[in-house]
Amino acid sequence: MSDATASALLHEAEDDARKAQRGRFWRRVRRQPLGVIALIVLVLLAAAVWLGPLVYRTAPNRTDARNILKAPSAAHLLGTDELGRDVLARVLAGGRVSLSVGLLAMVVGLAIGMLAGGLAGYFRGRVEVVVMRLVDVFMAIPNFFLILVVVTAFGNHPVTVIVTVGIGFWAQMARVVHAEFVKVRGFEFVEAARALGATHPRTMLRHVMPQVAPQAIVLASLGVGWAILTEAGLSYLGLGIQPPLASWGNMLQNAQSYLWLKPELAIYPGLFIAVTVLAFNVLGNALRDVFDPRG
Amino acid sequence: MTSYILRRLVLGAVVLWLVSVVTFFLIHLAPGGPSSAVSFERTAEEREALLKQFGLDEPVVVRYGKWLLSAVQGDLGVSYNQGLPVALLLKQRLPNTLTLGLAALVTATVLGILLGTVAAVNRNGWLDHVVSTITTLGMSIPGFWLGIVAIILFAVELRWLPASGIVSSGKAGDLVDRLKHLAMPAGVLAFTLMPNVVRVTRSALLEVSRADFVRTARGKGLAPGTVLFKHAFKNALVPVLAVLGLVTTALFSGSVVIESVFGWPGLGRLAIEAANGRDYPVILGATLLAGLVVVVVNLLVDLLYAAVDPRIRHE
Repeated sequence: MSDATASALLHEAEDDARKAQRGRFWRRVRRQPLGVIALIVLVLLAAAVWLGPLVYRTAPNRTDARNILKAPSAAHLLGTDELGRDVLARVLAGGRVSLSVGLLAMVVGLAIGMLAGGLAGYFRGRVEVVVMRLVDVFMAIPNFFLILVVVTAFGNHPVTVIVTVGIGFWAQMARVVHAEFVKVRGFEFVEAARALGATHPRTMLRHVMPQVAPQAIVLASLGVGWAILTEAGLSYLGLGIQPPLASWGNMLQNAQSYLWLKPELAIYPGLFIAVTVLAFNVLGNALRDVFDPRG
Repeated sequence: MTSYILRRLVLGAVVLWLVSVVTFFLIHLAPGGPSSAVSFERTAEEREALLKQFGLDEPVVVRYGKWLLSAVQGDLGVSYNQGLPVALLLKQRLPNTLTLGLAALVTATVLGILLGTVAAVNRNGWLDHVVSTITTLGMSIPGFWLGIVAIILFAVELRWLPASGIVSSGKAGDLVDRLKHLAMPAGVLAFTLMPNVVRVTRSALLEVSRADFVRTARGKGLAPGTVLFKHAFKNALVPVLAVLGLVTTALFSGSVVIESVFGWPGLGRLAIEAANGRDYPVILGATLLAGLVVVVVNLLVDLLYAAVDPRIRHE
């Protein structure tokens, strides 16, 4: 048998293996109908908050003193709030802010967590001791107190809020990523890559990362949910996103003053938070099952 | 065991010290830190006098040293806004948070273990799915919103429970009245804490039920109930114990928001008031105290853990 046929056969075998793997992946996805529904809900939500304003053109911040706390009508589909602002328009605008903050905060938290946890798990030794001790410290400060400290010291510009919420959960991320890196690092193919002369960055990115990626994706999905909840809590307390810029959290802060007059005001934003976070959590759990069917 | 306890104690102290370093320097090095709080004063002399009064005219490391030295003696400085010692404010508020926290923790643990057991026994049955739905909801619904909905339902519509506060005015000694005030905040907080306990209980029980000694017990012909409660349960509770440390941390985070929803005069509410008023010594003190409670609880959990599982001690 010539080398050419051998390599052709090898390629064919690799192709088959890849196809089979992909087939298995989709079979597992099909076994997660809830996860698929969650994904559809999230796509619809994103479409509603980002494309909705093109259809529903009422301005979210326009006050109207003659039409305060009005019931739903053709002009205001969900009624108006205590300043006569359109509730539906504000829910959509608030959704844009809450979703953006949630996604970006997750990116911040995951990036710090992956970097710290990855380096600690890959290099072990002194790096590991320092990083993991720091993780212990951050895990010992109740998240919300830590976030309060940072927001008070650095102000509540939206970018600060994003970074702060992200910092609130980097330690959990780092802990998981660290454990994964330690595990994968012990595999023979990593040793083989090193022996063939791959540099540390290359080994980490090309050989270890792909093995850790599924866990990271699951963490990311759960992290967005957590970040949205935290931002909502922070804004509800008046320490997050500041009015007039609407977020689901700060809409609830205003609404609590009108519970006895108009309780609906407190229902809509919370319902949107709950559905969004629920969808991210369900998606995260479904992804975990898809990647690790034994778990 | 003694060396194990000593090691954990030292580690706890180190973690707590690092917590103080992180929070102190975050606050004092920030562009909007304490020194900037007095920048609104009109004349340079006034600014100087204020900086001196609060001891802000010295380098930050010196300030930290002084602060730490008095902190270990129980003096956490004076509140900028209230003029009272921070330690006194914390002492007034901590019992309220502990009452709320303990009520929520006990509720969450008892209900969590119960639901987790139900789920594990009916693995993949409809009860398992009901429990998993409840836990997913508990993880997804914002606690403060659930609190608002509970107020709308039980205080505004049904008028069964008071909407806020810790006791009605003039009824300071009335236990029933106090319990009525406690019911909603503790219930809501417990609901958000429960998912972790349920999940750990369920997976621990399933894990244990695969162990050899459980198979032996079944093989001897013991009733399923006896196997579950006499053999499996005891071992499954060990990981549940471990998760209580994490739950306590979450409890403090949760109580910050829940205390605000229900006007509960606890540590969290104090921290929020301090954050809104940029009262740095109070925030610092509250964070440190929360960290202290978390470290102590984790230490107790670790010790209990080592007591019930001798393998841990010898690692």
